[in-house]
Amino acid sequence: MSSLGLASDRVSTTYKTKNIFFGRFMKLLIWDMRFQMRYGFYLLYTFLTIFYVLVLTALPEAWKGKTAAILIFSDPAAMGLFFMGAIVLLEKSQRVTSYFAVSPVKAFEYVCSKVLSLSAIALIVAGILSKASGCGLLVPALSGTLLASVMFTLFGVIVATKIISLNQFILFTVPVEMFGFIPAIMHLLGVTPSIFRIYPANACMELIGGMGISVVGIFLTIVLIVVLFVIACRCVFKMWQEQGGVKI
Amino acid sequence: MRAIRFSFIHMLRFVRKDMMLLAAGLSPFLIGIAMHLGIPFIDRQLTLFTGLQNVMVPYFGLFDILYTAITPVMFCFVAAMVMLEEHDDHIDRYLFITELGRGGYFVSRLMIPGIIAFLVTLILLPIFGLSKLSAVDILFLSLTGTLQGIVITLLVVSLSTNKLEGMALTKMSSLIMLGAIAPYFIPRPYGYLLSFMPSFWTGMMITENSPMFVIPAIIVSAVWMYILWKRFETKIR
Repeated sequence: MSSLGLASDRVSTTYKTKNIFFGRFMKLLIWDMRFQMRYGFYLLYTFLTIFYVLVLTALPEAWKGKTAAILIFSDPAAMGLFFMGAIVLLEKSQRVTSYFAVSPVKAFEYVCSKVLSLSAIALIVAGILSKASGCGLLVPALSGTLLASVMFTLFGVIVATKIISLNQFILFTVPVEMFGFIPAIMHLLGVTPSIFRIYPANACMELIGGMGISVVGIFLTIVLIVVLFVIACRCVFKMWQEQGGVKI
Repeated sequence: MRAIRFSFIHMLRFVRKDMMLLAAGLSPFLIGIAMHLGIPFIDRQLTLFTGLQNVMVPYFGLFDILYTAITPVMFCFVAAMVMLEEHDDHIDRYLFITELGRGGYFVSRLMIPGIIAFLVTLILLPIFGLSKLSAVDILFLSLTGTLQGIVITLLVVSLSTNKLEGMALTKMSSLIMLGAIAPYFIPRPYGYLLSFMPSFWTGMMITENSPMFVIPAIIVSAVWMYILWKRFETKIR
């Protein structure tokens, strides 16, 4: 009887822990989305989406697919890379990261929340642009956007935890942009040999541009995301420990 | 004047620490080299690929306009980021009550980078420019590009309350540069819908080959600057 009771207690404790974790993560995600709404991300991307749709409408039919792919890859998919520095610096100046350091929130929850909240905007914008271009399938385009968005946002988190000013962030993200955008755009234009399909940025671009699916490329992209996620969590944890100039 | 000089030097030291000074100083040269060598190369490749002659040559003037816009924006963007940092860290309000004052702060953060950007553009455009431009064209393109850079910086710093909104506005406000495309691609009566953008008139100046269009470009920039400066004054009060 007592062993059964202990087992049921253990199950109930695990269930409660999972519930607490899920509830905390959902709150973090909702607050991140409210934060982004408050600071005009949704408004900005509404304007940008309208502008991009107008540009796509004005283009000749033959150019629409490739232009839409470049627009999706370089803007909504890469928004985490552009905005993460400002998000983290603002949180630092508002002492939000200090509160995270002493709260039960885990670094991986913080990173997941940032990645998912920004990816949500990227997916909506990518869906609209993909439909507006009228080229390619929606599901592969959204899958490619999600993979690229997660990858770029994680790069953004890693860089953002290391910087002390916006100018520094912009400068530090230039190499990531160069190694992310240039090969992918060249691949889309058919300039690179087929062996480069395994390069993660190119694999994402293939999905967005409806050029097919490189299984090895997607596998390597997922491996890169896992590695970046682990590094991002460590960087966030380290940043929280160093709040106020001393280690907590 | 002494306070303005010290304030400007302070900003230079701040950005030098981030290596951004080096990046902002080098980027006009790198962009210039890339444009000067890259665009004619792409034109040649397109000629080979499509069989058409001079595919991009009619748009060389447009590339020059965009170059004269990007160089001042780079300089003014660095200053805008510093201003956003100073606002978030509450440093700006302390500077306003010193000898520097609000006007001096504006001069050291916007006017001096603007003047430097104007001089750099004036020197680099004849070197890296793609189209045949007269001395008057070079002078007016550098002037309108600089005014546009100041307008973009004012848009960012006057409408944003923190660095995150500033980044969002930077993305948005850089679309102002695209007004120059209208005279090239949008039929005339509809093109005037973008006449509220200073770059539209710069585009007109090159497409119509008439330096007189610098006047509306300056007037439109001045209206933008006046409205945004008033908004900035309200924000920092």
